[in-house]
Amino acid sequence: MRKIRSNSIEQTTPLLRWVSEGQIEEIHFATLEVLERTGVKVDHPEALQLLKDAGCIVNENRVRIPSWLVEECLRLAPRKIVVANRKGQRVMPLEKNRTYFGTGSDLPYTIDLETGKRRRSGKRDVELACRVMDYLPNYDFVMSYAIAADTSPKVSDLHQLEAMVTNTTKPMIVTAHDEINMRAQLEMAALVAGGKEELRKNPFMILYSEPISPLVHTNDGVGKMFACFEYGVPVVYTPGVLSGATTPVTKAGTIVLMNAEALAGVVMAQLKQKGAPIIIGGGATPMDMKTTATLYGSPETMMNYAIMTQLSQFYGIPNFTEAGCVNSPIPDAQAGMEAGNGILMAQLMGANLVHDVGYLEGGKTGSLTFLTMCNDYMDNARYMGRGTRIDEETMAVDVIDEVGPGGNYVSHEHTFKHFREEIWSSKQFNSSFWEIWEEQGSKSMEDKAEELTKHIVATHTSELLDGAIREGLNEIIAETEKVKSNK
Amino acid sequence: MSDFTSLAELVINGNYNGAKDLTQKMIDNGNDPLEIINQGLMAGMNVVGVRFKAGDMYVPEVMMSAKAMSTGIELLKPLIADKDMPTAGKVVIGTVKGDLHDIGKKLVVMMMESAGFEIIDLGVDIDPAAFVKAVKEHSPQAIGLSALLTTTMLSMKDTIEALKEEGLRDSVKVVIGGAPISQSFADEIGADGYAADAASATELCRRIIA
Ligand code: B1M
Repeated sequence: MRKIRSNSIEQTTPLLRWVSEGQIEEIHFATLEVLERTGVKVDHPEALQLLKDAGCIVNENRVRIPSWLVEECLRLAPRKIVVANRKGQRVMPLEKNRTYFGTGSDLPYTIDLETGKRRRSGKRDVELACRVMDYLPNYDFVMSYAIAADTSPKVSDLHQLEAMVTNTTKPMIVTAHDEINMRAQLEMAALVAGGKEELRKNPFMILYSEPISPLVHTNDGVGKMFACFEYGVPVVYTPGVLSGATTPVTKAGTIVLMNAEALAGVVMAQLKQKGAPIIIGGGATPMDMKTTATLYGSPETMMNYAIMTQLSQFYGIPNFTEAGCVNSPIPDAQAGMEAGNGILMAQLMGANLVHDVGYLEGGKTGSLTFLTMCNDYMDNARYMGRGTRIDEETMAVDVIDEVGPGGNYVSHEHTFKHFREEIWSSKQFNSSFWEIWEEQGSKSMEDKAEELTKHIVATHTSELLDGAIREGLNEIIAETEKVKSNK
Repeated sequence: MSDFTSLAELVINGNYNGAKDLTQKMIDNGNDPLEIINQGLMAGMNVVGVRFKAGDMYVPEVMMSAKAMSTGIELLKPLIADKDMPTAGKVVIGTVKGDLHDIGKKLVVMMMESAGFEIIDLGVDIDPAAFVKAVKEHSPQAIGLSALLTTTMLSMKDTIEALKEEGLRDSVKVVIGGAPISQSFADEIGADGYAADAASATELCRRIIA
């Protein structure tokens, strides 16, 4: 029998906590106070009625939500939401401490892979981004990345979904212009999944909808969310803020306000339908007080997401944060630092859905090359997140004794056996000696990533979607465009 | 230091209580109200504009300076005939139809107000007809359209067309801005100008209204 040390606790992965359990409770109580004292504005008639009937104090569209109701709804919201891929395989269980990475949506500009020039984004950029992310293993889900600005503005969101679903099998998060287009997207998703029942059983799509800070819940935002619940499709309902402009400038104030908005969403969701799959969190970016830019890659965002992740774990509700999104306009050293820090933090905190990976220029410009570079940053962070294995085999006392003073380990069996898991290796990062690096063309990491991206674009396509389904998707898009034009 | 310099200094420092008190004192001492504005309050604000552009001052500081200026102006307004009130111009501003982004537009509004413009802010989700109506009602020298979405920026073109249809296009300048907007888009739809941020929007309006 193996003799075990007494009083032994093993820590398999690093344990990162940003604040104490008591401080999380403090934020929770402050949030309840905001909901009960200040309340929220709700512009969706059905939601307003539900809140009224549940015991909220409603004054026109101003709703004050009592603490007990918030806490009751928190208990009803599912702790676990399983998201499938396009094939119905349940690949992405959103549970406490399981981290998944993906990009964001709707970038107006793209740095062209061929010309290197920044230009307006189009539908093909959505297709290419999805193909690249379909290939790169550290992307767990996709969003549209670019905006299909060259399609009809009335249904450009539908075109984006079409481009996504035909170019990757990975789970996806979508945005929608309004409830009409959301319903069209749900029909498209049902078609792809093989019917509404299949979609409900194994949803491969999540909606990203938003309240507007401070404390406004729009008719469109809530309407889109409610439509998804009818189909059993999970919803990210989270604000995107600018600290110092739409929230208090303090980090704690930002978190309290955003949490109040998210919890109001949880209440509306659970009143609409018990157990409705809702995901909380949001984009907690400060405003640059010099340039007014949205600071996606700043230290504050990462600090905020750490606490917001802890909050969601305290509630037992899956969360949505950001990382790998930067303010640098190009994939340079600044971008690497901004992206790397955020990704590592998200991994170590155990955030669930980490989106916006690969955003440049504060969420306005995309680059396929940068998407590819981020794949290695995520790989690196995941590697660190796995932690340090400590046991007899890895402490290697026997091997140390065998080699003795003055020997070497490079030819030892132990090295051969463990080096792959004990030393992280990357294809994109440079680590060769100067002369060799020169011989190989003096390529920067960006150069190499660009080459790989071109290779992926030239050679990789995802599993094809059935021709009849593709036709069906285009019919729904055409039909919706007609409906919208007649309005 | 003269009272005027001190007043300008109080504005620059965003000391609105101080600015209020000193403005009152200067009124009581019989200074000319217009001079108090031009050589005190506005003089301070002009320095703020330059410093902000140079990156030496931050948005919240500019806001406090603007507040200091307007507390002074509030006291002076009753003493000046409406037609003599100095203004850089009148501008109607709104975020276009279908678009709910308002922070950028609000910043443009606040910056322009602090530079002495009279602004009528229509809010968000404003359709061409509402812009036309506002132009008829307020007769501004310019209208400012903000759009953050590729899907809503086309409404800028519709607004310009609507102004043409009503025969108002020649009486009002059109300036546009927002994340997906560019100079080339402005040229394409026949706008009079594009600005990338709030400070340049202010400069642009000064230039084209002059
Ligand atoms: C008159 O003359 C002028 C002159 C200059 C002018 C001007 C007018 N107007 C602006 N300027 C200029 O001066 C200002 C000050 O210096 C500047 O204004 P800005 O507005 O650029 O800068 C502000 C000071 C700070 N910036 C902002 O306020 C915008 C920041 C980002 C992150 C952003 C935010 C905050 C929000 N958003 Co939205 N949002 C994004 C933005 C990404 C980004 N980094 O820009 C953007 C604009 N959003 C986008 C999207 C897609 C959406 N958003 C949506 C919603 C929201 C929130 C409500 C969450 C929130 C807005 C809150 C609010 N009260 O305004 C949705 C649409 C809602 C709607 N119908 O409007 C939704 C569709 C997402 C969804 N899931 O539904 C993208 C647009 C893509 C596109 N081009 O079409 C986006 C680029 C982010 C992204 N990559 O996805 C200049 O542009």
